[in-house]
Amino acid sequence: MPEAFQLQDVSCRFGDLRAVDRVSLTIEEGEQVALIGPSGSGKTTLLRTLNTMRQPEEGSLRVFGDEVDDYVPAELRRLRSTIASIPQQLGLVPNLTAIQNVILGQGGRRGALRSLRDLLFPSRGDVLEIHGILDRVGIEEKLYARVSRLSGGQQQRVAIARALFQHPRAILADEPVSSVDPARARDTVKLLCELSAEHGFTLCVSLHHLQLAKEFFPRLIGMRHGQIVFDGSPGDLGEEMQGALYDLSDAEMMRDA
Amino acid sequence: MGISAERLGRKRWIVGGLALVFLLCAWSLGLKPSGLVPPDARHWERTGEFFRAALHPALHYEDANVPDSADPIWWKGIKGLLLTLKFAFGAMSLAVPTALVLGFLGSSAWWPEPCGKGVRFALRSVYLTARLFMSLIRSVHELIWALLFLSAMGVSPLAGMVALALPFSGTLGKVFSELIDEEARDAAQALKAIGHGPVQTFLVGIFPRALPNLITYSFYRFECALRSSAVLGFVGIETIGLYIELSHEEFYYREVWTYLYLLLGLIVLVDLWGAAIRKRLQTTPGGCAG
Repeated sequence: MPEAFQLQDVSCRFGDLRAVDRVSLTIEEGEQVALIGPSGSGKTTLLRTLNTMRQPEEGSLRVFGDEVDDYVPAELRRLRSTIASIPQQLGLVPNLTAIQNVILGQGGRRGALRSLRDLLFPSRGDVLEIHGILDRVGIEEKLYARVSRLSGGQQQRVAIARALFQHPRAILADEPVSSVDPARARDTVKLLCELSAEHGFTLCVSLHHLQLAKEFFPRLIGMRHGQIVFDGSPGDLGEEMQGALYDLSDAEMMRDA
Repeated sequence: MGISAERLGRKRWIVGGLALVFLLCAWSLGLKPSGLVPPDARHWERTGEFFRAALHPALHYEDANVPDSADPIWWKGIKGLLLTLKFAFGAMSLAVPTALVLGFLGSSAWWPEPCGKGVRFALRSVYLTARLFMSLIRSVHELIWALLFLSAMGVSPLAGMVALALPFSGTLGKVFSELIDEEARDAAQALKAIGHGPVQTFLVGIFPRALPNLITYSFYRFECALRSSAVLGFVGIETIGLYIELSHEEFYYREVWTYLYLLLGLIVLVDLWGAAIRKRLQTTPGGCAG
């Protein structure tokens, strides 16, 4: 299997703070990985590095085998259109309908004019496909519902549907279940892992929820202070390491507040 | 405690300063409270007559020379309202598309991020030029534009419409650009992360989101355009304002009130319609910037 993401000594700095600190990491294509660690440990910045939205100050990044450091904007956009990113706030347009939000998943390949046409007059083929996707994620009756009228859990499904319609080689999701109740969170994580197995795309999810990560992901990557402190299967994650991952120092508590 | 006392002190200075500026203006203009009181019996009588006429708006022309074949006054008034509406609607039809273009050029929501220094300089020039142009056209009031166009083109309906459309494009464009720039960027960021270009992100991620606010504000400006269109009658363009002006010149105060009540009725209707639209779009009314 070729590697989806390969990081070599990558660092991302915000002023004096190293949000990602000399990280070296390889994620194979088709792998399912959970990023775990306390908030402020660098998970979000690492995900933004993987989808090329954050240029690292140091180190090199290869995505799907290609060096991306000196990609021009058009090349970056083409690459991004193959990686689906689901941000923590979902990034949906609230006053558009579910189908309008989902159809924008292909916008990276289709360009501005085609996207406008998609919003106003979606093609029959797209409508059928999106209906199928919404059916798969369990909200097919919400095809023409405005996103702002949907519940938090339903909005998550719309975001996942948008990612699926993109036909991505990888899905990166940042804390996808932070805003829903535990039962729904479990369903969503389970769905993402099933979809990854069905379609064969790489899945990388940052999770606050250690139990969910251990239950569904064969590989966990633990971060603290921007560094990788654990990389292995859930079985290898001992009590001691769990404690170290979540035992917040006073300084971190202050930063999160 | 120390900080709040200091802030209170500053507030007191600001209020005191504003009051002082007002007093200075009033003094230099020679304002006296007695200026509100009519100076002699003749003026008193006229004032009384005007307000008494409010209770008895004219149902027939006060001028005995109007031929019987003329339209009844209420019908003439309604025709005047239709003319007023036509000017307002025509002016807004010119102003909204112009303002959309100007508002786009005067906003930064569609700029590529990050971008090179040269590109940034070019974008900033476009932004400032658009802003300056919008300031220029709205700094001249529609009445003054109307006077300029009337002297250039003579009394033509187009002169009235363009005179209204110009300052309205400037005000609408400025507010459009600000509404667009204040719109949340989270969806736009998410779309950029999956390969959308900067202008595309604007078109599908920011503009649709700002649209309810743009519509609400345009509707509010339509109400303003109605009032302005009526006022254009006072410089000779045929709207209900012209009829008000002509009756007023002849001291036919009861006719003036007939026209004023009709205009009031129209404004109330448009306001109710606007409220219904706002309720559907779930937006708040925009402030009047004109």
